[in-house]
Parts: sequence; structure tokens; C-alpha cells
Amino acid sequence: MSGGHGAHVENGIWMRAVMMGGILLTIGVLLFATLGVFMANEKHHVWEELEDEYHHMEVEVALDGIITDKEAADLDHLHHEEIAAHLSYLTYRVAGITILLMSITYAAFIGVGGLLNSSKPAAEHGDGHDEHEHHGSSSPIIFAFGIMLFLAGFPDFVIACKAMLNADLTPDFGMLALSMVGLLTIVIAVSNWWFEDLPFNGHGEQIATSYPFEGEHIRKAGLWVFIMSEIMVFATFFSSYLRMRTEWCTKWAIEDGVEACQGVEPVVTASDLIRNDFATILPGAINTFALIISSYTIVLALKTAKNAKWEPSTGIMGKIMPTRKAAIRNYLIATLALGSLFIVLKLVEWSHLVAEGFDIGTTQGSIFYIATGAHGLHVFIGLLVMLYLVFKADTVGYDEDNAQGIEYFGLYWHFVDLAWVVIFPAFYLY
Amino acid sequence: MGEHIEIMGKDIYFWNFIVLMFFTLFEVAAVFYDVIPGTEIEVTKLMVWAILIVVGIIKGFGIAAFFMHLKDDPRIYTRTALFPVLFVILMLWGIGLSNPAGVTELPSWCTPNWDYAETR
Repeated sequence: MSGGHGAHVENGIWMRAVMMGGILLTIGVLLFATLGVFMANEKHHVWEELEDEYHHMEVEVALDGIITDKEAADLDHLHHEEIAAHLSYLTYRVAGITILLMSITYAAFIGVGGLLNSSKPAAEHGDGHDEHEHHGSSSPIIFAFGIMLFLAGFPDFVIACKAMLNADLTPDFGMLALSMVGLLTIVIAVSNWWFEDLPFNGHGEQIATSYPFEGEHIRKAGLWVFIMSEIMVFATFFSSYLRMRTEWCTKWAIEDGVEACQGVEPVVTASDLIRNDFATILPGAINTFALIISSYTIVLALKTAKNAKWEPSTGIMGKIMPTRKAAIRNYLIATLALGSLFIVLKLVEWSHLVAEGFDIGTTQGSIFYIATGAHGLHVFIGLLVMLYLVFKADTVGYDEDNAQGIEYFGLYWHFVDLAWVVIFPAFYLY
Repeated sequence: MGEHIEIMGKDIYFWNFIVLMFFTLFEVAAVFYDVIPGTEIEVTKLMVWAILIVVGIIKGFGIAAFFMHLKDDPRIYTRTALFPVLFVILMLWGIGLSNPAGVTELPSWCTPNWDYAETR
């Protein structure tokens, strides 16, 4: 199907979404087997050996009763090696499991959506040729209703999940069912949304007729109002953190000689554990670069889509991106890969912090995990939307007429980047 | 539109990307090093704070103005983006004026049943 103009969409095209889900799942399983099983097991052996060696040496020193300086140094060195081996094992195991879970979610999301749409009657597809076609949709309302049901049952959904792992808890399967109905409603709404959007060729975009957005695209104005509300959400996290952070007797406050902090045990923040060591600051720094690069790749996707005179470059880039359609798709795939890398590194970093005793059971842990977790959730939701963009770029295609999809999603993605610009220095460096 | 401005054959998005990458590296280095490499100048905490705030503003401007097109889009979008910032400033101001006990002395029933709430 050519880029956006021949907007009649055959049902069979949705089977490519199912195939895409299968490819994502295969990649996920392979990466899990390599990183999460093979490499992690190797690292686990190394960790176990070092742990045994350390405990053996500890017992020997305890039996001797006297510890020399050399023995103390050796013991300390071994202890650090053992911790490093543990963290290395966690890196591979958590990365593998995260990739597997993400690929299952990706495959389920795009696969189920594709399957539902491929089974719809062909007559339901809009042909997109009507210049006055109304593109308002009920899908967002159904989607919002699904989220409401899902969240209504969510606390008990979590308990039910825990109960499956722990016999001491009594799950409320009624609420679990409510969450599941919510999840199903979300999937149906999203797949219907895709169904309506796929043939959209850029004509019939609704224009606002009244102040203050008069003459502007309603979807774009709506997205900016949504971003406005998101700024407030992140501002609450940020201001709560600042409020607490300025009161804590951190290592910095004690070093600065704050009177109220003299003789007080320092409060350990995530940044205390992260900022002074190359290995600990690396995941956060890579994540920052990954988000900035992903912001640029989505800009390149939009720029390519809007450029009717686009021509392939020479050399390797020309081979990777031989056509405009392939270039847009590949830029979006790069964005998807970078966003996925962000989630993987985030969870690896969390696992390291938890292993070091920085968990959610403290005020500083709670605000850190909630704020960075909320941001990670935004990234993940963005990735699910991006799956559809990749699918559309690969099938119907984007061009100068229908590039709004990339542009509006890009606004959301840049906002996620913008939020990280604030979160990273505040929670990781300050 | 911004994409038509070219510097050394590259569009504004490319240079914005380079600036964002550079300043990210700069802020990480500012925190990582206690002394400026190759000198004996100590990186004080005040310097770190100033760098983090200034770099944050520069990066935020780069993303919003160029990547989000606020520089070229109608002003109503900039106003929409800046509207919640008023509330953010008010919130930060309120936080600055508030009593420390407002956060640290919350009763246990106000907090989830975490260890710290029980042992406080």
C-alpha cells in the first residue's frame, strides 16, 4: 500500500501486526535466553565462588583471633569483588527478564490488536477519500473507561498477584476480574483506535473554531492540554522531593556544617549511591543519552515524512534506508529500541539499588521509586503507542499529508524527555 | 520553520541534538569530578547546583523550543505549556514557606504501612 494516499486498507494487512508481534516475541525470547539465562548463570557461578571464598576467609580470620593489615585489606578487596559479582549477575538476570516481559507485552499488545482488526468485516474500513469525513472517535472514551475499571481493581489485582506467589494472602478474585475486564476494554479500545486511524490519509483533520485555539488542529491542541496536566503531575513529584530533600540531613548537609545535622546519622539518598562511581552513574547517564537520541530519531522520522523530495543518502545509510517509507519505519524502530533500552537499564539500576539496601520502605526510597517509576511508566506507554506507529509506517506508510500521527506522538515523547531533564539531575545527581 | 535554518550544512535539529548531548555530558562530569580535571580548582556544591539548574534550563529550552516546535508554532502553544509553570512556581514557593513538620511529622495513619512509619 502506497504512502497514505491509497488509504483503503485490506483486513489481511492486520495479520502483519500479528507477525510483528511474533518477531518481537522471538527477539525477546532469544535475548532472554542469552542474557537472562546463559550469561546470568555464568555470572551466578562467579558470584557464588567469590561468596564462598569470602566467607571461608572470614571464618579463617575469626578462628585466628588476630587480623593483620594485609588480611584486612584482602578481606575488604574480596568483599568488594563479591559485591561487584553480585551486581553483575543482577544486571544480566534483570535485563533478560525485563526484555522477556517487555517483548511479551509488545507481542500481546500489537498481536491481539492485529488479530481483532483482521477479523472485522471488510465493509467497516473507511476509505479515507471523503474530504469531509469525520474523524472524531469514541475509542478514547472507551479507553478511559477501561483504565477506570483497571485502576478500580488494581490494588486487589496486586494482592491477587502476590497471593499466587504467597499462600498467606487471601486474594479478592472479584477485583482481579474487574481489572481484567478493564484490561480487555483497553485492548479493544486501542485496537479500534488503530482500526480507525490506519486508513487516515491526513484529510478531514478537525479544526478548532473558537478561542483560544481557533484555526488549530483539535488533536494538537488536545495533546498540549494533556501535556499541561502532565507537567503538573511531575511537578508534584519534583516539589515533594525538593521539600523533603532540603530537610534531610544528607552527607552533603553534614559536610556543609548544617547545625541541625551535627551528630545525626546521614540520610542516604539514591544520588548518594549513584553519583560518585562510574559504574553506578553509567546506567542513568546512558538512559539520558538514549532519550535524547530517541528524541532526535523521532524528529528525523517526522522530517523524512514531511519531505516530499526525500532522496536516499549514499553509503551505508542509503542501504539501511533505501526508500522514504523504509527510512521513516527505521527511524521509528530506532526510537522504539532506545526507549526499550531505557526501561531495561532503569530496572537494572533499581535492582542494584535494592541490592544495596535502598528500597521503597523509606521516605527517600519511596519518592525516588514513585517519581522515576511514574516516568518509566510514561516511557513504556509511549513505547506501546510507538509499536503502532512502526506498524503503520511499515504498511500504509507516512507522508507529508498524514505525518500528524508522528508529530503528535513526538510531542508526547519529547515531553517524556523533558521530564527526564528535570528528574535526572534532581534524583540522580543532586 | 526551524528545519530550513542550516548551520554548516546541518539543520537546527541536529545542532540542538549536539547541544543536548554536550550539556548532558557536562552535568554528569560536574557531579562526578571533585576537582576540575587538569587543574586544582575544586568543584563546590554551589557550583554543582548552579550547573545543574542552568544546564536544566538550557536543555529544557532546547527540547521545548526546537524539538517540540514551540519556537515556530503559534504562541498559544507556548502559553499552554507555560500555564502550569505558574502553579509549579506557586507550589515551590509554598513548599519553601512550609513547616518541616508538615512532612516529617505526619501521623502514621497518613502513611502506608511501611517500616519507617511503624518505627518512627
